Amino acid sequence: MSLLQLVINELKAIVSDKAIAVTLFGGVLFYSILYPLPYLHQVPTEQQLVVVDLDHSSLSRQLLRHADASAKIRVVARVDAIATAQQWIAAGKAHGLLVIPAGFRRDLLLGKGVVLSYGGDASYFLIYSAVAEGLVAAGLEAGKGIQLLGLLARGEQQAEAERVLNAVRLNSVPAFNPGLGYTPYVVPGLFLLILHQTLLIGTGILGAGQWRTAGYWRETSPLKLVCGRILAFSLLYSLFTSFYVGWCYHWYGVTVQASLGRVALFLLPFLLSTAAAGIALSCLFRRRDLPTQVYLLVSMPILFVSGFVWPLALIPDPLVCLSQLVPAVPAISGLLQLNQLGAAWTDVLPKWLQLWGLFGLFFGLAVRGIAGKRASLQ
Amino acid sequence: MTGPIRRELHALWHSPWQLALVTYVPLLSVLALWWLFSAGLPRQLPVALVDLDHSRVSRMLGRQLAANAVTAPVAFADLPAAVAAMRRAEVYALVLLPKDLQRDLLRGAGHSPSIDIRYNSQFLLMGKLLSSQLQQSLGAGLLELAGLKQLVSGVPRARVAVNLRPVQSQTTALFNRNSNYVGFLVPPVLIALWQLLAMLVFANSFNRELTPAPHDSGLSLAFWPKLLAKLGVYLPLLALHGAGILCFLYLYLGLPFAGSLSVLVIAQCCMLLAIWCLVLTVFLLMADSARVVSFCTALFAPAFAFMGITFPVHEMPSAAQYWRLLMPSSHYIDAHVAQVSYGLGWPSLPAQLASYWGYLLLLPVIYLLGRRLQTRLQPGCEVKP
Repeated sequence: MSLLQLVINELKAIVSDKAIAVTLFGGVLFYSILYPLPYLHQVPTEQQLVVVDLDHSSLSRQLLRHADASAKIRVVARVDAIATAQQWIAAGKAHGLLVIPAGFRRDLLLGKGVVLSYGGDASYFLIYSAVAEGLVAAGLEAGKGIQLLGLLARGEQQAEAERVLNAVRLNSVPAFNPGLGYTPYVVPGLFLLILHQTLLIGTGILGAGQWRTAGYWRETSPLKLVCGRILAFSLLYSLFTSFYVGWCYHWYGVTVQASLGRVALFLLPFLLSTAAAGIALSCLFRRRDLPTQVYLLVSMPILFVSGFVWPLALIPDPLVCLSQLVPAVPAISGLLQLNQLGAAWTDVLPKWLQLWGLFGLFFGLAVRGIAGKRASLQ
Repeated sequence: MTGPIRRELHALWHSPWQLALVTYVPLLSVLALWWLFSAGLPRQLPVALVDLDHSRVSRMLGRQLAANAVTAPVAFADLPAAVAAMRRAEVYALVLLPKDLQRDLLRGAGHSPSIDIRYNSQFLLMGKLLSSQLQQSLGAGLLELAGLKQLVSGVPRARVAVNLRPVQSQTTALFNRNSNYVGFLVPPVLIALWQLLAMLVFANSFNRELTPAPHDSGLSLAFWPKLLAKLGVYLPLLALHGAGILCFLYLYLGLPFAGSLSVLVIAQCCMLLAIWCLVLTVFLLMADSARVVSFCTALFAPAFAFMGITFPVHEMPSAAQYWRLLMPSSHYIDAHVAQVSYGLGWPSLPAQLASYWGYLLLLPVIYLLGRRLQTRLQPGCEVKP
């Protein structure tokens, strides 16, 4: 059987096996829509805030209007006691509170300092940071207004007073993901992981179903079978990967910095090593429903260990070392650097070589595994 | 009823994978996921510091950054080197102290200098944290400087602090005081994992009936008792795992906890019942082992994203909010937060359990599908794969 014939046979086997076809075609399409679905609105805005106004002055009302004007906050209620605000938060009707102390305006005009208290529900970090950012900005503005009044009252010139207040500007700007959006943050890493996991599952189910039955896979040498299978899956997955890294990235607004050629060059060993790893591991499965289960359980740890959710330096070293054997881990961090952060090719070269190394390792294991299976069956 | 239960226990004992799923797999994965996040608080995150001024002020600001527990400044001689390091994700933020910073600050006249901060928002959590911490550190340093200037110009010491900061803010993270990631992220991650395990355990025990042992009647006899026996065996086992996770997090690790653990155990049992209903429906519908597992995986794998812990529920599009209602874990996590954070206790239980009402609609569907499968399983009738 020629290699071309083998690849065609493989593709036929993949498409005609319902479980594999559903996982590969259905899964890849379904996940591309379902996973980013919760994050489509990108940024939490207009978080409900309950205000405990113990001052009831013109200044406290002005502060409220400023807070309400912030895009991140919406004032939903004004109550008279902190305990009431607590009930609002526990009932889920509000996610943050602002306490304006009694004598707020009087103390400020007398030149005494006052303390505003903000609280945000830190059970949800994104909500907490939105509430805190919005309130701190509103509070700073109110403070600056008072400072300006004080300076003017002491006889400073308007322009001079404003300059004293803004002696240094801190110009803090997000780089790489300018809108701080959630899909550009999640999608690049997650989609590579989906490709990785479905590819492993596909090769796993195909292998597990074939070992003990007769068919074309018994008629070729192990080396040729591994080559043919890797070729077939890589052909299929170059389509899926183009869909994910090309169209889906564009659709979900992911910033892209690398050229098409470089991305393709980087992803080539990723697909090859993942397919080889899938074939090598498929020799360990006997039941067709096992690969999905095993790969499902390891997918969350792989995502978290790949370094874009939680800094690598804080992950225990043994876990990081172990994870370097998983093709998705160097691929996710490498492609993020290359494509999202705009690193030079020389910067990701070690990761690229690591992927080739993994390909060599798993290719050898796959050939040995299949030869071993053959020997045990005869 | 003891017959089917004993049969189920026998099957569990003779299935290595199923036995692994209820013993060491949950143990290993729970410990691995906790270990991953065990650092808890992000600290010593590398920040590139480009000092073009080399003055007393710029060195003071550098020391301010070094004093912050979250940031660890790494000195770079010029901007291009720092940018390259940032692109390699070696540093997560960049601070540029411009030339003549000290001169502009002290000279008074002329334009006010500006300090540039760039943070890596592709790594959203780290980026946001660094942005606020860097501004806080630099702001505190600059404030000290401004205080010095005021003292020089003759303002009494008592007035300086008030002049600089008439309105002070005290920001409190409610329910998770030190913004600990173990308290924030690990419980929902473990719940999502536990839900996957429960789904797999139920799916495997149903799938076993498709290839019954030689002397076993499979599902063709005692259809409903056998399906219920699976619930009888695995519900207590899985509930034990769930309770184990809660004990590990809130009793052993001592994460802050306001409500009652026993309420959560009851909520977990309800969640398991809901998972059983969902998996049983899929099983009766498909009746093929690989497809049941694939379909359930597709259904349950994204559950974590829909829980609404990392991204708030009320900000999701309505399609996502509807899909979310399908997942038992999203019903449970509301009860979880209500207990752990808000400490609502027993009175909140009925309302939380009532949110599962939608799963009751599955019961007639299960009954009809079960009848269909039963007639197909009658002797003389081939099981269609």
